[in-house]
Amino acid sequence: MIAKYYQFDIIINKPIICTEENNAIKLEGEVSSWQEVIIAGKVAAKSKYRGVINKITVKGITVPSFQRPNFTDNIIEGQRPDVLIIGGGVIGAAIARALSKWEIDLMLVEKECDVAMHASSRNDGMVHPGITHPGSLKAKMNIRGNEMFEDLAKELDVPFKRTGMFILFNSWLEYLFGSTFIIRNAKKNGAKGVKRVKVKEIRKIIPNIPSDIVGGVTAPTTGVCPPYEMTTALAENAIMNGLKLSLETAVINLVETNNEITKVITNRGTVYPKVVINAAGLFADEIAAMANDQFFTIHPRKGEIALLDKNKGDLLNTIVSQVSANLLKSDTKGGALVKTAEGNILVGPTAFEQPYKEDYSTDYTNINALLEVKLPIIKGIEKGDVITYLAGTRAATYKEDFIIEKSKKIKNLIYAAGIQSPGYASSPAIAEEIERITIQLLKEKREINKKKNFMSVRKGIPNLKLLSKQERGELISKRRDYGHIVCRCEEISKGEIIDAIHATIPALTLDAIKRRTRAGMGRCQGGFCTPLIAQIMVEETGKNMLELTKKGDGSNLVSKFTKS
Amino acid sequence: MEQFDIVIIGSGPAGLAAALEIEQSGLKQIIIERENRAGGILKQCIHDGFGLHRFKKRLTGPEYAELFLKRVIEKKIPIYKNTFVTEIIEMENKSYRLTLVNSEKSLFEIEAKALILANGCRERTAKQVFIQGTRPAGVYTAGTAQYFTNILGYLPCKKCVILGSGDIGLIMARRLTLEGAKVVGVYEVKDTPSGLSRNIAQCLDDFDIPLYLSKTVTKIHGDKRVEAVTVQKVDLNLNQIPGTEEIIACDGLILSVGLVPENELAKSLGVELDTHTKGPMVNQSLMTSKEGIFSCGNALHVHDLVDFVSESAEIAAKGGIRFVQNKGEEELIHVEFDEKSFLYIVPQKINLLDIEENIHFYFRSKKVLKNVSVVIRTGDTIIFKKFYHNMKPPEMETISVNLKNVLQNKEICFELKEGVST
Ligand SMILES: Cc1cc2nc3c(=O)[nH]c(=O)nc-3n(C[C@H](O)[C@H](O)[C@H](O)COP(=O)(O)OP(=O)(O)OC[C@H]3O[C@@H](n4cnc5c(N)ncnc54)[C@H](O)[C@@H]3O)c2cc1C
Ligand SMILES: Cc1cc2nc3c(=O)[nH]c(=O)nc-3n(C[C@H](O)[C@H](O)[C@H](O)COP(=O)(O)OP(=O)(O)OC[C@H]3O[C@@H](n4cnc5c(N)ncnc54)[C@H](O)[C@@H]3O)c2cc1C
Repeated sequence: MIAKYYQFDIIINKPIICTEENNAIKLEGEVSSWQEVIIAGKVAAKSKYRGVINKITVKGITVPSFQRPNFTDNIIEGQRPDVLIIGGGVIGAAIARALSKWEIDLMLVEKECDVAMHASSRNDGMVHPGITHPGSLKAKMNIRGNEMFEDLAKELDVPFKRTGMFILFNSWLEYLFGSTFIIRNAKKNGAKGVKRVKVKEIRKIIPNIPSDIVGGVTAPTTGVCPPYEMTTALAENAIMNGLKLSLETAVINLVETNNEITKVITNRGTVYPKVVINAAGLFADEIAAMANDQFFTIHPRKGEIALLDKNKGDLLNTIVSQVSANLLKSDTKGGALVKTAEGNILVGPTAFEQPYKEDYSTDYTNINALLEVKLPIIKGIEKGDVITYLAGTRAATYKEDFIIEKSKKIKNLIYAAGIQSPGYASSPAIAEEIERITIQLLKEKREINKKKNFMSVRKGIPNLKLLSKQERGELISKRRDYGHIVCRCEEISKGEIIDAIHATIPALTLDAIKRRTRAGMGRCQGGFCTPLIAQIMVEETGKNMLELTKKGDGSNLVSKFTKS
Repeated sequence: MEQFDIVIIGSGPAGLAAALEIEQSGLKQIIIERENRAGGILKQCIHDGFGLHRFKKRLTGPEYAELFLKRVIEKKIPIYKNTFVTEIIEMENKSYRLTLVNSEKSLFEIEAKALILANGCRERTAKQVFIQGTRPAGVYTAGTAQYFTNILGYLPCKKCVILGSGDIGLIMARRLTLEGAKVVGVYEVKDTPSGLSRNIAQCLDDFDIPLYLSKTVTKIHGDKRVEAVTVQKVDLNLNQIPGTEEIIACDGLILSVGLVPENELAKSLGVELDTHTKGPMVNQSLMTSKEGIFSCGNALHVHDLVDFVSESAEIAAKGGIRFVQNKGEEELIHVEFDEKSFLYIVPQKINLLDIEENIHFYFRSKKVLKNVSVVIRTGDTIIFKKFYHNMKPPEMETISVNLKNVLQNKEICFELKEGVST
């Protein structure tokens, strides 16, 4: 038992009850704002306990559990995989791909109708250089992940660009201190090539930076790679190597006996895995609680992002952010202008705490503030160039670091939790580490060998627009549908959409097709192509138009037949 | 590589009218259309009201298009359908090389001495008018909703809010009501409607659909499918007024918040654009800042009546023909106008070396005005004036003036005066 009121009464002025549970500090009580919940958690995180379980509630706010499919069946009933991965984000998918090198029976369950529907399709797609948080697991995984990323992207046929990154300063004082700080951290972490750059050098790469910039820092190892494509590619490659992927499958409960998970209960049947890997993103804490092993709480930190029209893409060919006194005060610090691998300039993300893990709505004031602060970093872009915005939530623990370990209590449970930013950049390294832990654990039970016929290379859907004229022409002569343009903004053909519908992980919703092919991601945001894609989906899947959805059950595109 | 005198991009009413004009000159031409049928946006406009000026008849969209298409087919004017222009580059000899994609001929190139951009416009989206909240199914632009309803035979929603009182929005309000959907209301951010008066009367009033002015949608609710929208009052500067939020339950949001000329190809060619129209800057023969590239119809500026789309296409076609037959010299002056009074004036430039014939001007006023005169001035001399009882931004006006021997100091300026100008 810890001192009852700890130091919270000073800050929060409300009774908070602190207890020790599972070697973590547990907070309980009721406060009047979410802000106070976060403050309490942050204070508790400074304690020596390994984690913070924050059960403080806010008067009038009920935080919902995860959204789940509204049906049940028995499709995976009775399966006994060696390893069951919970969560089909980039972390679950990367782990699946790493483990699919081994002679084991592997299964992944994901509650949504596609992979990458949460954080892994709602982020900047930046492969960070690893220049912050020295000494953390985040820094270690980021550096290793960054090293692995390019080869992985090549093997999986996902576009990766090592764009580098520039951090700009507009005051000498901040430049002096800021750059020293960044470079020192980069050294500690082992990030390569991080150094000061003169304005003249920066202008050679980004000609249209503001006139008041005095200098900058470059981090040349930074890259970009589309996260939804990467997640799909990892999962597809794992399937090629034997992974069983079960979509629309939510883990509803775990049965634990004698510190071992014996059953995993889902809406599609009960599974009996030897080892369970918790890669459930925002809900990794709920999964831990199901195993009676909670020692951390995830607090969702929301980030909003705006995307600009491709026709302004040429104004930036790297990633740029700016540090200024003003920025440091604002809520939107940390965000950047990112030239994505697909050619758009991305603005963001913002960062703020709020209670709802799956609330991806954007807010007028936030988006406006974001644009006001970020757009001036390069001249020539303006609010009118925004084609869309989106939001995601980061799965942060109060310790603000990744949890990549075998459970201290449950013998067959492994954690890849608290994977906030730079989780995407770190994903290959996290998977490598989880692979090591898992195989070690399995080897305690039986002999495990690597597959002799592991296929490390996966081919994606061709992106015809990016091919040379000759290659494109040849492909069209072989498949006529590649010559029929459906999405005029991104120039995506009917053939590419058909490919996506019949891919290893079939794209069966409008959004899934968008994530696979980019059809509908351009300036008209699907205005012209939505009905055309819907018709192709009807032709290819045999479904009725009334059954088609934007993003799974309940998101139907149309309501009923017309009278005529 | 096949060579053409003129290549027309787009087979909507603009492209078809241009083609018929060119046909009379005997020049070699082709129309490129990315859809599988000619007719452009008219294909989905099954309401009537097309052709009142030109044919003095109330035709439906498809009927209007058919009148042109029939003749295009009779005259055997070639159309490449299902064909997409992926790139246009200017060659050293000033001709243009187009790279086309279709399933039959895969990727191929053609060359043209002149180009007519008749590629229409696109709709602004929910994101472009900065509506925040969630991104569920059930948010459609009016054109997309129209395609689902009129071409595919599916209703996009059962109970919807329509944002924007543009013509397409009004027409869709009526259409959806006729199909049994409930239209809760049409919300317009400005204090005057954007659509034609006859559409307000025939599409809203006749069906008891309320029109709310100075109100806009600020937020969408619902994760999977639209469940509600927040509407909010705005002040005269169009700023949202806090505390006036109202949540309206619905399963669809239909947007009719403006059309923008489709000018990606024009941009890629380095054509100078007008910030007012968002289309290319042109001279009186509708030639853009790039020699040999002409623009017409909604690609040039958004028209509310198709009759003028066809007219502008004929002007561009004549310009194209003359250009191919004898490249004339250019001496350009800007058409000045009072920006407080006019939204835009097309053409934006006059070629002084080519003012034998009447020049057609198209313009819109910036606000609703009563009893005003449009005055064209050169130096101190008024060369043209016309009185209008009513003038409003949604209704494009057109005048035809002969400027031969009247322009002083190479200057021309449009002004608006109150009352009958003397
Ligand atoms: C705005 C924003 C910007 C970011 N930018 C970057 C960046 O530029 N670079 C970077 O490296 N990182 C970035 N990140 C972080 C990065 O997105 C995440 O670290 C990463 O995507 C985490 O992947 P994940 O697989 O752990 O989580 P997720 O992608 O959320 O996957 C978890 C999955 O588990 C499923 N699941 C949950 N509960 C259950 C259950 N009970 N049963 C079955 N399935 C379940 C969920 O449906 C979900 O699909 C950003 C994050 C945000 C929010
Ligand atoms: C819903 C609606 C209702 C209307 N109601 C009326 C009315 O009641 N009365 C009236 O008089 N007018 C009305 N109008 C206005 C009138 O119909 C339009 O102004 C007119 O159709 C515009 O003609 P256009 O040829 O310029 O463009 P469009 O009709 O849009 O044609 C452009 C064509 O170009 C093609 N194209 C574009 N880019 C390319 C490319 N890169 N390669 C190949 N092809 C390309 C397109 O596929 C399209 O077929 C209405 C318009 C709309 C949208």
